[in-house]
Amino acid sequence: MNATGEPLPAQSSPGRSGQRRDASASLCSRLPGGPAAVVAALLVLMPVVLPSRTMATEILIFAMATLACNLLLGYGGLLSFGQAIFFGSGAYLSSLVMIHGGFGLLPALLTAAVAGAILAALVGALAIRRTGIYFVMMTLAFNQTAYFIAYTLSDWTGGDNGLLDVPRPSPTLFGVTLVDLSDATAYYAFTAALFFLIFIAVRKIIASPFGSTLIAVRENEARAGALGYDTRNFKIVAFAVSGAVTAPAGALYAMLLNFAPLENIQLSMSENIVIMTVIGGTGSLLGSLLGAGAWVIISDILSEIWPRWLILTGGALILIVLYLPGGLWGGVESLMRRFRRGGGTRRTPDGVPENAGAAHPME
Amino acid sequence: MLYLFQVLNGLGLGMIYFLLSAGLTIIFGLLNFVNFAHGAFFMLGGYLCWSLTELTGSFWISLLAGPPVVAFLAWAAEVTLIRRIYRLPHTFHILVTVGISLILQEATIMLWGPIGKSIPVPDGLQGVVTLWNFAYPTYRLFLIAFTALIGFALWYLLEWTRFGGLVRAGSESAEMVALLGTNIHRLFARTFALGVGLAGLAGILSAPIRGVHPFMGPEVLGIAFVVVVIGGMGSFTGALLGGLLVGLVQSLMSTIWPEGASLMIYGTMAAVILLRPYGLFGRA
Amino acid sequence: MNDRHILTTENLSLSYGGFRAVDKVNLRVRRKTVHSVIGPNGAGKTSLFHCLTGGRRPTGGRILFNGEEITNRSAHARVGSGMARSFQITSLFQNLTVRENLRLASQGRDGNGALVFWRSAGARKEHTELADRVMERLGLTRKAAVAAGDLSHGQQRLLEVGMALCGKPELLLLDEPTAGMGVNDIPMMTELIADLGKEYSVMLIEHNMGIVMSVSDTITVMSRGGILVEGKPEEVRADPRVREAYLGEVA
Repeated sequence: MNATGEPLPAQSSPGRSGQRRDASASLCSRLPGGPAAVVAALLVLMPVVLPSRTMATEILIFAMATLACNLLLGYGGLLSFGQAIFFGSGAYLSSLVMIHGGFGLLPALLTAAVAGAILAALVGALAIRRTGIYFVMMTLAFNQTAYFIAYTLSDWTGGDNGLLDVPRPSPTLFGVTLVDLSDATAYYAFTAALFFLIFIAVRKIIASPFGSTLIAVRENEARAGALGYDTRNFKIVAFAVSGAVTAPAGALYAMLLNFAPLENIQLSMSENIVIMTVIGGTGSLLGSLLGAGAWVIISDILSEIWPRWLILTGGALILIVLYLPGGLWGGVESLMRRFRRGGGTRRTPDGVPENAGAAHPME
Repeated sequence: MLYLFQVLNGLGLGMIYFLLSAGLTIIFGLLNFVNFAHGAFFMLGGYLCWSLTELTGSFWISLLAGPPVVAFLAWAAEVTLIRRIYRLPHTFHILVTVGISLILQEATIMLWGPIGKSIPVPDGLQGVVTLWNFAYPTYRLFLIAFTALIGFALWYLLEWTRFGGLVRAGSESAEMVALLGTNIHRLFARTFALGVGLAGLAGILSAPIRGVHPFMGPEVLGIAFVVVVIGGMGSFTGALLGGLLVGLVQSLMSTIWPEGASLMIYGTMAAVILLRPYGLFGRA
Repeated sequence: MNDRHILTTENLSLSYGGFRAVDKVNLRVRRKTVHSVIGPNGAGKTSLFHCLTGGRRPTGGRILFNGEEITNRSAHARVGSGMARSFQITSLFQNLTVRENLRLASQGRDGNGALVFWRSAGARKEHTELADRVMERLGLTRKAAVAAGDLSHGQQRLLEVGMALCGKPELLLLDEPTAGMGVNDIPMMTELIADLGKEYSVMLIEHNMGIVMSVSDTITVMSRGGILVEGKPEEVRADPRVREAYLGEVA
């Protein structure tokens, strides 16, 4: 045990499952069309299978936020309890520029993305001045800061009451309305298209020089520095990307509800996003969709029957850490593997042992 | 005079924050474990205070019996669950304790309802004391004196007893203490119970001033983090000075700019991070 | 500025509180040679190494690399100037493959050039090719797809040095490359280091006297933070002061 409290590189990593390379990619790459095709199929199926379009849309919105959190946690080893800062700011800013600035849908989403990136880079730059546990504590404290700012600026944010009457304008091109988004199915389709683009983009980012270096920083920051990488830059950029994805998700959420509640920027929202990421499985992008889906569906079903369902979430979180560190996706993966062949070679295609992290020295 | 009033308020509040953060920091120092459920246990202390006061009619019984109950729950959590995850990375400690705090929060709502409660100022400490020419609430004066006493006792415990010696030695090297033949499991469990018990005590003491509500955990946790980021994690002195600083800033700001009082403490933290990334008393 | 020397230190010092771990050290490493630093425990070798790699900021003196002052340059920026280091305690990306370890190491020379999203990581041919060449040289090509953490200890030590090679350095700083190596693996490492000395400038910190005596062109013996003796291996071997310093350690 490292009693000085100065964390070693591996301590900020998300653990066994996350230390594997993109698990969803390795498994799904053998399915026809790869993970992108799997996601496309799911996007088509979701509105058919789920009880409502609104629920399907909500899942995708949270899946975006989870994807962004996963980029930090699963690939960068950065556990951020500040994701609600970006989610909430995205909701407020896009709503404000639509209400007061007459912005259309796409400019409003773009505003959210840019502001989210800048804000996240700022928060990241400050928080990564320390590593490990201090880093996490700072992200949490910054979330509290953002919450109190939003609470204090009640003229703009509506404070406790939330920001009311958020419009959902339809996208236009040269004055021509492309699609009427007031329809729930159309709004779902729009969100799904956006989600698909973001999913592809994040996959590409992870496979890029930047993404591979981010993984290296997670694996062993000291070594990454000695190889010539200024590791701070990579963490800050990871934050910026995460903010640029999370903030538009918040914007879409406000448009879905026609309302931007204060809860969007509360610490509990950050917690929820982290929980969805962990339940789905860190270090796998399909896991993020799974985590957000499980969360939204279970909360919808259980909150009808038993309003205190969150107590189960708390228990689920503990159980997952103890018994299913790969999250739901990790569970699905090992089931599929067992189904396909009993034993055989225990290696994923990129040569990483499937439970490589378990052998990884944590201290 | 108004400022003196606020300074005294800030001292009382700061000492509560000190007890809260000292618990966090003692646990971290020895166990290298971060307790994200610390705020939830603070809340639990407050609710126990309400229930025990209702039940027995006396705040004093709750002050006496509450902290041991919280400490016992913490001990039970350590023995059954937390002890199994020390070897995992910090991220996992955080996730498990976030899970515990969610369970505590929801259980609190189930037991006590979703709406907060206010706790009456205890018998014998109602009213005001007149100091020179201004009146100050007796309970708040008691608070300063009592927390100072507890702080002193805690210092004595850590500095001059065998238990404290083991905790301090273990913070330097847990292996060393284990080699000396100490039952490290028992030491860890007791330290965890002590640290969380302090959070419970802080929750009880603040209840008559602030009241309780089921969603106060995260807010309290945020403040405890600000204190240890300012003071330096693992530092007892840091927790004391950080706690007092945060209490004073919050209290003084509440007259100058009430809406911004909470905001200011986070501003203070940001300033400390920028100027001294390792905190005022932190180890590099 | 003597062009024959790639690295020079002038009165380099590092103190912790009152303790002078490195005390006014003047070191000159000639190009394309193997220069070893040895000394009993606590002589200041590791502290000196920290100053040279940028792990610690010296409290006094200067470090010149290729005639350029780098005293306060950060560790990662030194790679860009042409220095690369290995670690005494193996420090690899344990869960990544051997090839990926080396590719990341090659890419590191470009530093922030890796802040690129739109290309795939393997698209830069010069990085993958360099990684493959180094892998070949280390005899690890068969292990390309194996996770670094699954290599034998000896292979990990080789990879450790290989990672530094991928930085295309002019100067290699090797921190006890044989640390923890089995007797059977040591000749392989000795051969590698001797070989590297022909192409690169190598500065070696090493405990294993056998290696130091056989591969070094110059040996600096440190004691109590300062330089005790410097010279060719045979000179150092014969010097009574060196024997005394080491015997003092035993006694």
